[in-house]
Amino acid sequence: MSVNSVPPAATSTVAAGGARPPLPRRRWKRQHVVGMLFVLPAALYVLTFQFVPVIYGLVLSFTDYTPLRRGGPDFVGLENYAGLLTDPEYGNALLVTGRYVLTVLPITVAIALILALLVNRPFRGVGIFRSALYLPHIVSLTSVSLVWLWMYSQNGLVNEVLNLFGATDQLWLLDPESALNAASAMRIWKALGSNMVLLLAGLQSIPNELYEAGRVDGAGRWALFRYITLPGLRPMLVYVVVMDIIYLSQGFAEIFILTRGGPLGSTTTVNYLIYTEAFQYNDFGSASAMAFVLFALIIGFSVLSVRSLVGRQK
Amino acid sequence: MIFLYLLSFLVLVPFMWMISIAFTPEEQAFGQVALIPTDPTLGNFETAWIDANIFRAMTNSAIVALTVVLSNSVIAVMAGYAFAMLPFRGSFAVFVTIISTTAIPVSVTLIPLFLMARGIPLAGGNDIFGQGGSGLLDTLAGVMLPYLVLPMNIFLARQYFSMAPTELAEAARIDGAGEWAIFARIYLPLARPLIAVVAVFSFVGVWDDFLWPLVVTNSAEAQTVQLALARFLATGNIQYGPLMAGAVLATIPVVILFLFNQRAFVSGLADGSVKG
Amino acid sequence: MKVFTRSASARAAVGLAAASAIVLSGCAAAAEPEAAQEGFEGQTLTVWFPGTNQVEIDLVTGPLKDKFEAETGATLDVTFVDWGDLSTKLNAGFAAGTAPDVFGHGPAAVADFAINGRLEPLDDYIAGLEQDDIDDLSAALPGGTVGGVQYLMPLSMQGNLIVYDAADFEEAGLDPDAPPTTWEEVREAAEALTVRDASGTITRSGLLLPSQPIGRQQSFAALLASAGGSQLTSDDLESAFASPEGEKALEFYTSLFSGDDAVSYPLGADYINAPAAQQPLVLDTASMTMQTPNGANQIIAAAPELDLRIMDAVPFEGVDEGYTLGGSGPGLILNADSEVKDLGWAFIEYMISPEISAEYVQGIGGVPTRASAADTDYVQNSPVLQAFVANSSNFLPNPNVPGWVQVRDALDKYLEQALNGVTSAADALAAASPEIDSILESAR
Repeated sequence: MSVNSVPPAATSTVAAGGARPPLPRRRWKRQHVVGMLFVLPAALYVLTFQFVPVIYGLVLSFTDYTPLRRGGPDFVGLENYAGLLTDPEYGNALLVTGRYVLTVLPITVAIALILALLVNRPFRGVGIFRSALYLPHIVSLTSVSLVWLWMYSQNGLVNEVLNLFGATDQLWLLDPESALNAASAMRIWKALGSNMVLLLAGLQSIPNELYEAGRVDGAGRWALFRYITLPGLRPMLVYVVVMDIIYLSQGFAEIFILTRGGPLGSTTTVNYLIYTEAFQYNDFGSASAMAFVLFALIIGFSVLSVRSLVGRQK
Repeated sequence: MIFLYLLSFLVLVPFMWMISIAFTPEEQAFGQVALIPTDPTLGNFETAWIDANIFRAMTNSAIVALTVVLSNSVIAVMAGYAFAMLPFRGSFAVFVTIISTTAIPVSVTLIPLFLMARGIPLAGGNDIFGQGGSGLLDTLAGVMLPYLVLPMNIFLARQYFSMAPTELAEAARIDGAGEWAIFARIYLPLARPLIAVVAVFSFVGVWDDFLWPLVVTNSAEAQTVQLALARFLATGNIQYGPLMAGAVLATIPVVILFLFNQRAFVSGLADGSVKG
Repeated sequence: MKVFTRSASARAAVGLAAASAIVLSGCAAAAEPEAAQEGFEGQTLTVWFPGTNQVEIDLVTGPLKDKFEAETGATLDVTFVDWGDLSTKLNAGFAAGTAPDVFGHGPAAVADFAINGRLEPLDDYIAGLEQDDIDDLSAALPGGTVGGVQYLMPLSMQGNLIVYDAADFEEAGLDPDAPPTTWEEVREAAEALTVRDASGTITRSGLLLPSQPIGRQQSFAALLASAGGSQLTSDDLESAFASPEGEKALEFYTSLFSGDDAVSYPLGADYINAPAAQQPLVLDTASMTMQTPNGANQIIAAAPELDLRIMDAVPFEGVDEGYTLGGSGPGLILNADSEVKDLGWAFIEYMISPEISAEYVQGIGGVPTRASAADTDYVQNSPVLQAFVANSSNFLPNPNVPGWVQVRDALDKYLEQALNGVTSAADALAAASPEIDSILESAR
């Protein structure tokens, strides 16, 4: 296994480079090489099975291509991208996707953080709570979307409960005003557990000594949270936010089942449009161009959010 | 604490409905709002078990998912550790490139990946140039292919280790320990919450995926659990009862995996995570 | 090609030994009914069927597969793929050259495959059928052609008809034995049947036509044809719905859902795909709904206590014939790259042979393709099938043109705007027309 091949390689490098330079520099160089060797198996694998398909997609975005046609893609330059500029549906899909991410992300992260803090204590039955809150993440998106489809229906659970408070029936998924919010609510529910678990793991990575030292200095609970928990949680918070941006901006399966992009295009996300373009209209060139514009935006917003979370780099 | 009870209950409500529908006869599914089915039945489970052969599918998915968990726990975690603890010139660029591949929707990468799975040399009757046979198509190895190293796990491991204290490594280096030993003997054992998350997330990711297994497999022998459930999702004729019964069955292994792993989250604070 | 006498294979597949013996006696090539067909031993035929209907899966992968394999000596490798996933799998398959030898699809998808040269024309094979057979299939065959070439062999027929609740009719003072005969009368009946609560919200729709995505286009197509209009020009090159007939149809459709005298609620809900027990007719939230034969059968099975009846397709006043969407249903297609095309045709022919076809259509609850099947017990004993068979000449298919899926979705989008009151019917159709013309042009 590749795992076992790393240490001998690492030590031999150390031996080879170990003679001449002074200690700090030698160690620096040795760590460089070892770092690369640690990364190498993963990098090679990702390069082959993730990066190559992405590059292939990038190439396709400059072509006219359908797998149904014999012969390869026809190069069309920037035509697909130019087409997107004048496509009102794509513009609308970008707005819908942006709204979706901006609705789901802050609410999920905030609630997940509170929950993570609540279940990060050793009390009887904590495992049950963690599991209960994590359950939505386990069940396949398709199955839970179908349950929510029914909950939102005219005589479904949501209306039944609201009727108890005197509200009239609403057609949550059929009204352009409420459809995206209804889908967002489901996605918040679905994403809560995974975010909580990640933040929980982040909390666990904060050394206990820091809290002990803080208490010795007489810090209160808020001060401990503000000056130890939050900074310590920052790397995981960055991960959670970036991961949520990437996953949420590719929202598709829940939309497919709940609304099929409607009503009046109010829930047509970019990925829904991409899927339709590629697999319904067999136009892979245009679908790829859509994907790479989305890609640029995802990367842009991820970098922005990382910047704002991390503040100045150390 | 009340907040926790309330939220846990709210979170569980849709799931309770799933269970309720799983035990409700198909004719009554989604009928009246009734949490406890009036005529409970095991018929849906029987349908899921026999028609969808869900046990076989779960076994397939488990084989795939456990292999993926193992490879990610080692290869991806190791890479993430290096990005955090042993940075080299250009390592951040490599890291960002790896992560950015996840920001492309599957619709676009599906077909190139399919062509690659078919063209794996020396597999499925292929020659050394990947020609002539079917490669990894319709095999469990083909299903595993895109997940063996998940960029998100590399990212996760990097973030986790970036909070780990560096003093331990420096002390060990002064004692003459090799970098592999420092990783495997000191930092990896400290990263139990991380491994727990990587294991659970990788497992769930593979377990719930649909699109890739859909295109890469054809035969019933290579079906994964979501493909088996899709049988009840027929356009225009959704069989809610068996679908929910199957979904409940499919959830059980993951719940067990999670319950087993969630203890890793307790250890840190209770014991003091780093004993210097 | 001539090793195998085609009409013989279909007949030989029939389970009844006596029947096949008679037919086979006339065919020199297949002298021994029980022997495997020459040339097919050891060959494997890959077939993808659309849909995941359990009865169909059990039937095709069980007895039908066994009989075919015994007949030909070949191995049949069948995979069922849900409709929603079929296109994804076929795209990957054609890209990698691993597409199946034979696959099932709906008529609307055929043109895009055909224009890319992926499909084997079936004309030569069909010419080998006996004339009686061709005549028997004459209703189904045209639906599988693109530009006059046969590419798809339909396995069932489809249609949509209004199912109504006779008790609701009586309660509203209408005669269930004399149902409406024009859309105007349907509308009048619907107004009498509609029930509202104190706040004015409709609690029972007089009439429900599908208004969910895709369903909108189907409802509009039916109304348009019943008003004497058509979706595309007769040469299939341009749109033709932006016409007085189109406006009349869309205004009628829109008015069902809007205004104080609306008769349908709620707009956009997908009742067609709801479970039988949740159908508006069963829940008594509608008195008339448009249904497919399978849908109608399932509703009747779910609510045997209701007196449900089926209305013939109706025209608008001043138009001779009423139409709804229907015609040839899904069928089988032969991959042009298949290395076992003759075996592929043998399978297609086997599936459309009278006995196998009857068994299959009954299994899926569909309408038979063969005219002679009207005499089978399956049709004779079912009022639903009787009605659908009787209306078979009133079912119009969507056009088989390249880019149709995109055309359908574009039209659907503009119909939705009209239904929601965002634009007028005339404006919606006028705006849809150039967009659809350009899709049609770029797809050619």
